[in-house]
Amino acid sequence: MSKSTFSITRRTLLQGAAATTALVAAPAYLRAQSAPIKVGILQPVTGALAFDGQQGRIGAELAIEMINGAGGIDGQMIEPVFGDARSTPEGGTAEVEKMQAEGVVAIVGGFASPICLASSQAASRYDLPYLVDVGVSDQIVSRGLTNTFRFGPGFGKVTQQALENLVKINEAAGNPAKTVVLVHEDGLFGSGLAQLLQNELPKRGFEVLQTLAHPTPARDMSNIALQIRAANPDLVIPSSYYGEFVLLARTMQQQRIQPKGIYAVLNGAASNFRFVQEFPDAAENVMDCNHWHDPRKEESQALLERVRADGNVWTYNIPLNYSNVKLLADAIARAGSTERTAIRDALAASTFEDHVMPYGPTQFVDGQNQGAAPVNTQVQGGDIKVIFPEDFADAEAVFPVT
Amino acid sequence: MSARDLSTGFLPIVLVVALLALVPLFVTSNTILNFLVFTLIIALAAQGWNLLAGYGGQFSFGHAAFFGTGAYAAAILQVNLGVNAYVAFLVGIGLGALVGFVIGYLSFRSGLKGSYFALVTLAFAEVLRILANSAGFTGGAAGILIPLDVSAWNFQFESRGAYYWVALALVAAVLVLNRAIERARFGAQLVAVRENEAAARALGVDALSVKLKAIALSGAITAAAGGLYAQYFLYLDALIAYGPWISIEALLAPIVGGLGTVFGPLVGALALHGLSEASKLFVGEIPGIDLVIFGAVLILVVAFAPDGVMGVIGRVRRRLGGVSAKTSPASAAAPAPAPAPTREETPA
Repeated sequence: MSKSTFSITRRTLLQGAAATTALVAAPAYLRAQSAPIKVGILQPVTGALAFDGQQGRIGAELAIEMINGAGGIDGQMIEPVFGDARSTPEGGTAEVEKMQAEGVVAIVGGFASPICLASSQAASRYDLPYLVDVGVSDQIVSRGLTNTFRFGPGFGKVTQQALENLVKINEAAGNPAKTVVLVHEDGLFGSGLAQLLQNELPKRGFEVLQTLAHPTPARDMSNIALQIRAANPDLVIPSSYYGEFVLLARTMQQQRIQPKGIYAVLNGAASNFRFVQEFPDAAENVMDCNHWHDPRKEESQALLERVRADGNVWTYNIPLNYSNVKLLADAIARAGSTERTAIRDALAASTFEDHVMPYGPTQFVDGQNQGAAPVNTQVQGGDIKVIFPEDFADAEAVFPVT
Repeated sequence: MSARDLSTGFLPIVLVVALLALVPLFVTSNTILNFLVFTLIIALAAQGWNLLAGYGGQFSFGHAAFFGTGAYAAAILQVNLGVNAYVAFLVGIGLGALVGFVIGYLSFRSGLKGSYFALVTLAFAEVLRILANSAGFTGGAAGILIPLDVSAWNFQFESRGAYYWVALALVAAVLVLNRAIERARFGAQLVAVRENEAAARALGVDALSVKLKAIALSGAITAAAGGLYAQYFLYLDALIAYGPWISIEALLAPIVGGLGTVFGPLVGALALHGLSEASKLFVGEIPGIDLVIFGAVLILVVAFAPDGVMGVIGRVRRRLGGVSAKTSPASAAAPAPAPAPTREETPA
């Protein structure tokens, strides 16, 4: 009787047993090396907020590319799972459900406050860590959700800083500005900001001559400009989205309305290179208090150059999302696991400083990064310069302009 | 009502609802359940619109006024006054009816019809949006947030399935209500007003009263959808509550599904949102390409099925020869599709 071709020799058995033992005994970490870590990148890439959403996505993609290029997180690559919130809160919620089904370990993004509020709440049902990229509403971090973290500053912090810096800039120039006209969009941040400034400016020695509201979108700013001309203020403080502010700045330029300064707060255009490139004359000397990268850091300059080399426009969404993804990667690495609660705890205890924002090491209290703060920028000679705080300003404020 | 009436009129509703009620038992994916809950909320808002426009012929472009009222009532009563969520929800439905009555009284008394009525409703919704955006008690532009506190007592559920069943129960209640109205004197009067208001009046129908009843009921139903939205997403601002998006959703679903039919809004909402989701599956990473496909398919559907999905189903059934048009339960129960709005535009 011939030997069966399927018989197992002693040697084969030993080899097989050794291989199996090695595989089983290997740390889970090694076995998982090939499995990528899925991270949800949620942005409103269609709808009214599409431009901002696409900018945010660029920032997140560049961070993932950089992390993966440097070997990933302890050898594991990050795989982005992109979601389109369609510029609506329910769109964001639907994407959170999809990302949860795809097994992401955390979500970064949201951009607008309503999207961030709804999406982070949907994520909290699954204990899924959620990093808010921009959304400034203070409600985002005051709901007691343990999964929600905001790396950037909130509304209260930005307005407080904007007022303090305005007073300092004015004092440094010998207090030339005494009267103010507020121009604001009638939506989420514009109205709230105008109300706050209306209450706070008189306490700091400014007289508010008029508060002018306009809808978004607005197709004509002539009336607003004429009212500014009639009031003849030293300072115009606009809080509007991109299109409306560009329209206002151009109309003011055409009608030769030249206050001593335009001091924007969280403006959609004043810290936007698109505005600066397309309308350099209208943009010149406009000041803004907004999110901005730290120009002292080499990495932020390299990122800016890379974005420009790719033919994209630089906006604050890019460094904010870039930094958020890096912050998350750091937390995953420190957690040593992709377990959600471990990542959440690592984020809460995070002291991450390898980001490109001017915040210092992160320190989260109830989900809010305590060091986060806006900066003051000014358009000077076709470029956007940081004029305040002095620690990392790369130019001095041009004020008063006239 | 005879047993035959029951079986032909209400049996399809019972069957469809029973079938839909089984979905969470088989579908565990929260992505699908979330999609279905949102679609049912839209279907409910659309059912409200269909009652007024589909059956009554009064085309509204401003059902956001009712949706927003229901949503804001649910949120404000809970957050600012500490009212129980279910009570707030019911009060919201009542306020929706009241807003409907007020808008109806002001516009129908002035004899507004057709596109004039449509524009006035649009204006009412816009006025409410601007007021909600600037008032303090609505949270102003910052919006209002219902605190997350998951408990059945708070009308907040752990599972998406529970929300699904609540939404389905409300949709089912309105399906039954619509069928009952179709068979009642009120339904006949409503259709008579739609087809020819002058003739209806000549026959002794109190057109104003009929239209007021219809708009109040319509407002209540759409307000229920708003209240449910608030409970599900727990966040509202003026653009969400009173924005034009919901007015468009509420009219698009019945137009696609079948105007003036019991199942039209539900079928339309499922078809539209299903199509939207399906188009997302078949596209790559180009943002918005799914919306392009969605728009193109929508144009084709409206071009080739002007009487909606229910109309196509009716035609197919007739062509198959199994059931003649006259004896078909659906077509016997449902009035003829509403005429185009232009036919209504007789001078007031």
